[in-house]
Amino acid sequence: MDAQPLPKLMRDAVIDTICDAARKDKDILFISADLGAAALDGLRADLPDQFIHAGISEQNMVDLASGLALSGKKVFLYAMAPFITARCYEQVKCVIASMNLPVTMIAVGVGLGYDHATLTHFTPEDIACMRALNGIEVLTPGDAEAAKEIAKVAIADPDFRYIRLDRQGQAPLYDGGFKAVYDQGFGHIVEGQQVAIVACGALVQKALRAQETLTKKGVDAGVIDLFRVKPINGEGLSKVLGGYDTVLTVEEQLLEGGMGSAVAEALIDHNVLKSMKRLGMRDGFEVVNGDRDTLHDLYGIDTPHIINAVLELAGKA
Amino acid sequence: MASPKNGKIKLNVNDLQAKAHWLRQELFEMVMRQKKGHIPSCYSCTEIMVALYYGGVAKVTEGQPDDPERDRIIVSKGHAAMVQYPILADLGFYPKSELERFTEPGGLLGMYADFRIPGIEGISGSLGHGIGMGAGFAMAARQDGQDYRTFVILGDGECYEGSIWESAMFAAHRKLDNLIAIVDRNQLCILGRTEDLLELGDMEEKWRSFGWEAISIDGHSFDDLMPAFDRVGKTDGKPLAIIANTVKGKGISFMEGRSEWHNRMPSDEQIAQARTELGLGA
Ligand SMILES: Cc1ncc(C[n+]2csc(CCOP(=O)(O)OP(=O)(O)O)c2C)c(N)n1
Repeated sequence: MDAQPLPKLMRDAVIDTICDAARKDKDILFISADLGAAALDGLRADLPDQFIHAGISEQNMVDLASGLALSGKKVFLYAMAPFITARCYEQVKCVIASMNLPVTMIAVGVGLGYDHATLTHFTPEDIACMRALNGIEVLTPGDAEAAKEIAKVAIADPDFRYIRLDRQGQAPLYDGGFKAVYDQGFGHIVEGQQVAIVACGALVQKALRAQETLTKKGVDAGVIDLFRVKPINGEGLSKVLGGYDTVLTVEEQLLEGGMGSAVAEALIDHNVLKSMKRLGMRDGFEVVNGDRDTLHDLYGIDTPHIINAVLELAGKA
Repeated sequence: MASPKNGKIKLNVNDLQAKAHWLRQELFEMVMRQKKGHIPSCYSCTEIMVALYYGGVAKVTEGQPDDPERDRIIVSKGHAAMVQYPILADLGFYPKSELERFTEPGGLLGMYADFRIPGIEGISGSLGHGIGMGAGFAMAARQDGQDYRTFVILGDGECYEGSIWESAMFAAHRKLDNLIAIVDRNQLCILGRTEDLLELGDMEEKWRSFGWEAISIDGHSFDDLMPAFDRVGKTDGKPLAIIANTVKGKGISFMEGRSEWHNRMPSDEQIAQARTELGLGA
């Protein structure tokens, strides 16, 4: 059997797209806090004047971005997820959010992407933290196509955005259809009736695996890729979720304030009261040596946990 | 291991060199087993760590990681804290078999050091925290009337973090002469040479201007390292910064001084070459 080609990395899709645009627009600047990518080598070689190494100085990177943005530059910040969020959160709040500057923050390795690096490199709180910022848009592409389209929007319509990229390549999700659902803020990947499984990023794939098994077990589950958690399309989402009997959310985040919370908020705000369950990480979570799948299993957010939770919601446990 | 049960381990220069050789070998085996880890970042500070632990510098007690009088050693550039793993096993802080389980399920030792590992003082992995943490240890020692010292190994790229300089200023103001920073000045971070990307300039002068005593040495030479560590405690109330000029990847010719090896794994052919250079069997 031929080996499956590895899916394109989201970071390369995003950087290639920005690089193409930057060739035609001198005001596009790409700033890295010492994080690389295959595609970045090309950008650095071809457009040295539009690449800035901020130092391993995330705080400097953000403050710098504010001055550049105030001077009319289109700024793209690039770093590992933990260090572009928590490490410089106050800078983002004070100088980007407070002035609502059109700065695009690109994070690599969200959630548990840096599996073996553990606590300092996990971001079990980045959705909660970042969506709490005033005026920010929070986007989690589920595949390279989505990442590329989101990058295009960030170029064409600069705004204060936080883009959460997966470190590992993700299997194609959209097959050319992402553009059509962009405005909606979520993709209804598989339609169903009984239980809606809502996920984003890498966990969409796990939700799809679960959905396949559930079909065989006679449960009609659907899968929703909630790629824009803020501003959440509460009206659209609650309409779709309203068509299901129950809702399950699953995420690589602590449950407090994460994606599941955002979904619950949207449903409440739109008076759609459903039985609902959230799967996610819990306070005091253990740390072990292991890859991302091992961690998903440990934290109860892997495919079998999704299956069990859906069966429970469907009254078939 | 031939060493006193209590206090310091002091090998002569020849034995220190042999120990450095041993440490590089152990690290290579450990990292290549799972193909996880940061060899070049460990190899630039190999002699520094060997001098600290085995050169009669740091107070360490075999088998007693929690000895209250121990000197505190923090590898702040946490991606290289694994450089301590073979040493801590050698000191009997945990079984040597743990090295074989590095990053494996159920193993004690992870990609990044964690404070649950005996001999590791605090978590690392996010750059820029070690000096502040070290200043905390140093102040606690002062308050408790304890003599232990705190040694912090910093990356030069790590010194881009502003937090390093906040803590540097603090430590000097508080006259924490029981705090020692060793800057692993290998001139590289991930994307290239520090002086091309963002000039760090004269590090010795920078630390001095923050109120530290500062000296520059060859960080691979025990003849340089030992006299530098002799300065500890003789700095007249100043914390001490040792700028150790080093080569990232030292010991594997094709990795030396090349930033692209920061987080890349060698091919089978390259592994064979490295093994020969390190004096390891095929
Ligand atoms: C706050 C923070 N930002 C970024 C990183 C990612 N990172 C890990 S190692 C490294 C380069 C470190 O360079 P240096 O301190 O010179 O260490 P060395 O070259 O000796 O490995 C970077 C940017 C990190 N671990 N922490």
